[in-house]
Amino acid sequence: MSLSPASGIGRFYKHSAKIIRFVRLGCTNRPFYHIVVMERRKNQHQPVIEQVGTYDPLPNEHNERLVALNTERIRYWLGKGAHMSTPAAELLGISGILPIHPRTYMTAWRNRQAANADQQRQENAEGVATQ
Amino acid sequence: MSFLRYLRKINTQLQLPTRLERQFSNAGTKSAILQYEKDPQPQFTDTETQRLLQSMTQMQLDKVFRKRTVPDNDNEIKFMTTEQLENEFVKMIEKAKHQLQMPPVVKVKQDTERIISKDPALKDFQNTKFVFTDITYGLRQSDRKVVVRDVDGTLSYAPLETQKRMNQLYFPLKGRTFHTPRMFSEQEYLQRCLDDHKYEFVLDRLTVQYEPYELDFHQISAQVFQHLNESKEFDQLRSTRHFGPMAFFYAWHHCIDDLLYDMIRRDYLQNAVELIALSYKLHNVPVEFRKTISELDALQPTPEKRALNQLLSSLKSKEEHEGIQQEIQTAIGKAESDFAADEISLKFIEAYIASEHALKKVQLELAVQTLKEINLEKLQLYHGLKKAHGMHAS
Repeated sequence: MSLSPASGIGRFYKHSAKIIRFVRLGCTNRPFYHIVVMERRKNQHQPVIEQVGTYDPLPNEHNERLVALNTERIRYWLGKGAHMSTPAAELLGISGILPIHPRTYMTAWRNRQAANADQQRQENAEGVATQ
Repeated sequence: MSFLRYLRKINTQLQLPTRLERQFSNAGTKSAILQYEKDPQPQFTDTETQRLLQSMTQMQLDKVFRKRTVPDNDNEIKFMTTEQLENEFVKMIEKAKHQLQMPPVVKVKQDTERIISKDPALKDFQNTKFVFTDITYGLRQSDRKVVVRDVDGTLSYAPLETQKRMNQLYFPLKGRTFHTPRMFSEQEYLQRCLDDHKYEFVLDRLTVQYEPYELDFHQISAQVFQHLNESKEFDQLRSTRHFGPMAFFYAWHHCIDDLLYDMIRRDYLQNAVELIALSYKLHNVPVEFRKTISELDALQPTPEKRALNQLLSSLKSKEEHEGIQQEIQTAIGKAESDFAADEISLKFIEAYIASEHALKKVQLELAVQTLKEINLEKLQLYHGLKKAHGMHAS
């Protein structure tokens, strides 16, 4: 697939529903996402209206996940009434541009629960071992 | 003459013990890297300081536009009228000025933690932290917001190190590498460069790789300047953009004597005066130097004018009378005004050497004495030649 400019080559109707979403690029076992604006009804691999950021879900050598956001354009499209996919909304929530998405709180809570349960299980196992 | 020599001998004997002491005390500080203890920026950007530094840097066009190890080193040949050529010369001087712009000397920027929000309900939302970079088009690197969401849900502005890394990742600067070059990260490589006297190379790369407010920039440049002060290869940096910061560094840390000696030995007396004036200015020494500087300025052209005159002199068709005068001047290397300027400079320099601010008095005195003798010979020759050509010696 040849690269298109960040301003995009996708054709769109004036009043069609737009969405800010991820496009999975990269390759097998190495995901890499572009954050794009496109028509909602389209498939992710069709031409986009505009690319507004990137997201690298694999942690780098400093153990960080890198996200780049073109905040000016994101605000523009949100102002135009663009929708957001849930992962994109979560990411924007974490970045501080939007309020935190409820699902982020849910995952956080579930992760904490799982960690607690793990700890409990370990303590129990240790208790059994010492007895 | 013999009386003078006798005096000098006595002087050296008197000076010797103190000098030894100083050398020992120097040895202690040499290992430590000197640092600016307060913000040098207001002093550095001051117009008077800038003027002194620019004048000290000089503008030797051969050196400014020398061949470099870059891919594009070719030159273009054109036919021009005299007028066009003169305009081109002026443009050339502007370009040289641009090339000689000094990297600023500013204080180290301290990293402060700035938290935007804390959200304990977000704890453990992911197992790594997220770094968000604003890639909005047309922002300056310094204005670009980089924020970090930590694992415990804290959102804060990224530390300077991360900010620089992100800027380099998304908007790479030409010549700056993402990972620190080993030349700077490992002492032995840097030491090897310094021992080979590749000062300009190190400083150029340092300027590209680091911002002037970074701690590493300060430490490495201080190390280079200190090494330079020991090897005394000051001429390598003359007519480069690093000469000004170097002179400023020495003046700030009270170690101008080696540079001063070098300047006197090379007969750059005006620069020597400017260096002393700079150190007086930085440390608020109550000595009136502005008068001497303005007198010298009146007698001698600025580096830019000198360079331009040098370029223009290749164009001029000389008249008979002026031609001979010019020839005498080029043969001796000095004009009447230069001798007058030297007189004023020498007076000022000797006053400095006699004061308690000079550390290497004997060495400096000897250099001044030698220079005086040479100057006297030149002056005699100058008058003799003028007389021989039937011109009135003024």
